[in-house]
Amino acid sequence: MTGRIALQLALSGLSVGSIYAIVALSLAIPFKASRVLNFAQGELVTLGAYIALVLTSYGLPYAVIVPATLLIAAAFGLLIERLVIRPIVDAPEFTLVIATFALGLIIRALIRIHWQDNVYFLPAPYAGAAFAIGPLRVNPSYLVIIGTTAVLVALLVLFFARTKLGKAMRAVSFNPIAARLMGIRVSTVFGSAWALSAAIGALAGLLLAPVIGINPELGHLISKALVAAVIGGFGSLGGALFGGLLLGVLETYAGAMFGAAFKEIIPFAILIAILLVRPQGLWGATHARV
Amino acid sequence: MRLSHVLIAIAAAPAVALPLFGSSYQIYLAELILINVVAAIGLNLLTGNCGQISLCHASLMAIGAYTTALLTTRFAVTYALALPAGIVVTTLLGASLGYPARRLSGLYLALVTLGFLEVVSIVIEEFPDLTGGVRGLKLAKLEFAGWPLNAGALYYFVLGVTVLAIRAGWGLQHSRYGRAFDTVRQSVIVAQALAIPPARTKLLAFSIAAAFAGLAGGLFTAVVGFIDPTEFDISASLRQITFIAVGGLGSVWGSVVGAVVLTLLPETLRGAKEYSDVVYGVILLGALVLAPKGIVGSLALLLGRFHGGKARLP
Repeated sequence: MTGRIALQLALSGLSVGSIYAIVALSLAIPFKASRVLNFAQGELVTLGAYIALVLTSYGLPYAVIVPATLLIAAAFGLLIERLVIRPIVDAPEFTLVIATFALGLIIRALIRIHWQDNVYFLPAPYAGAAFAIGPLRVNPSYLVIIGTTAVLVALLVLFFARTKLGKAMRAVSFNPIAARLMGIRVSTVFGSAWALSAAIGALAGLLLAPVIGINPELGHLISKALVAAVIGGFGSLGGALFGGLLLGVLETYAGAMFGAAFKEIIPFAILIAILLVRPQGLWGATHARV
Repeated sequence: MRLSHVLIAIAAAPAVALPLFGSSYQIYLAELILINVVAAIGLNLLTGNCGQISLCHASLMAIGAYTTALLTTRFAVTYALALPAGIVVTTLLGASLGYPARRLSGLYLALVTLGFLEVVSIVIEEFPDLTGGVRGLKLAKLEFAGWPLNAGALYYFVLGVTVLAIRAGWGLQHSRYGRAFDTVRQSVIVAQALAIPPARTKLLAFSIAAAFAGLAGGLFTAVVGFIDPTEFDISASLRQITFIAVGGLGSVWGSVVGAVVLTLLPETLRGAKEYSDVVYGVILLGALVLAPKGIVGSLALLLGRFHGGKARLP
């Protein structure tokens, strides 16, 4: 493998990994707040892309579509938390896992009923032909994905460190009862965590749409994001980012060296191996075994 | 004669007489119901009794189906041997998943079984020379130790095997192993205090569930005559979970009722087939939120109240 090819692979690995990282982050936020892992998050990614598709059909400019999509998705996340999650948040883990799966199944099936299995392309202003930077061929979509991830991470760091709501979320995740005693409205924090998570999921959908097209199976990458979250350790935001990028790069190199079948299998081999040996993740704290 | 025996006899009579008056489609549907019953019983022992989440029950069924199919088509093994071979292979693979997973529970177990599901579907799709890949695998006419399996014979075979599976599931649930499963679900600490080894008990539950799934898969191969990976994806696993969650967790009759009702339900919504996933999802969500004990559990509670006695799960 020459240096040029290695660099080229690293670039595409990082952009794929950025998508995994974004979805893994959106999984980690409500998990941190309410200990619920949302297996319907993949469908929220898909839904984000379809919301943008609907908005596009009204002829809105892209600069309006992006914030509108994120807001609609956030409202949807709020709705899910209020109608589905809150009534069962104290139920056994089995109920929560299966309920979020059922939710995803419903969303995916509804999308499939309305749009069938057609693939739609979302016209993004930045999408265009690849150009050359030095020896590399660079797809502008990849650069946008990597750049957006970097900005998102920076914003999240600021949000959790500086804002009142961000600090409240950290307090609730640390100890919900103590947080409630300090006057934090825990239900508001849960709701905002789900809204934030749904919006970040929709952002991943927006970024993916110009690259692979909008179809009902777009959210299948949830399984890769779960692997990324496991690598990083659940509920660790830094871990989610690290896990996503590592998985993207690893998978891309594995695919180039050992073929497609190996590329497909390696994430799940990693998942099973880590959960069996070190369930708290490579990054997470040591109390994670539930 | 007890009431429950009368009820079973009433339910069984049309099942036995079906080939006399049913159309070939009705017989096919009845066979699918029976297969779902077998799969649900196995899953319910693992999830309902032992309390372990499994999202890969459909992949275990796929392993049974593919093993049986490959043995009969590629190696010309008789179905009478291929079906037990499928069960053995599935049980071994289920045990080899259950062995490392026996110390996990809850979310982590859900993730490991989800990973297993993905790996199985990738293996089926990436080795098309052996498995037919995404295009599926078509089977030749089956013969059972020299006898051709025609439609009627196949139906009675599936029916007989299902009755045996129900009996086995019932027997297991009421044996010391079934009680050990229940104890492990309710409290690992209590189980240990009673000298029940939790890890070994979970491994046993995994293996038994896999055996039922392998049997269901082997029957599925014979009945449908064509298998492809989409039959065994995550929605299939969720359908099986719906059977037991709606029918009643931890109850053999719950598995039976859930599988029968929920396999028939999409048929009553003819012309709206694409809605079946939505219907399954809504029913599953509704059952989890509103009736955590399922149909059989709720009925038992109602009957118990009616008789003024203590409710007893069948």
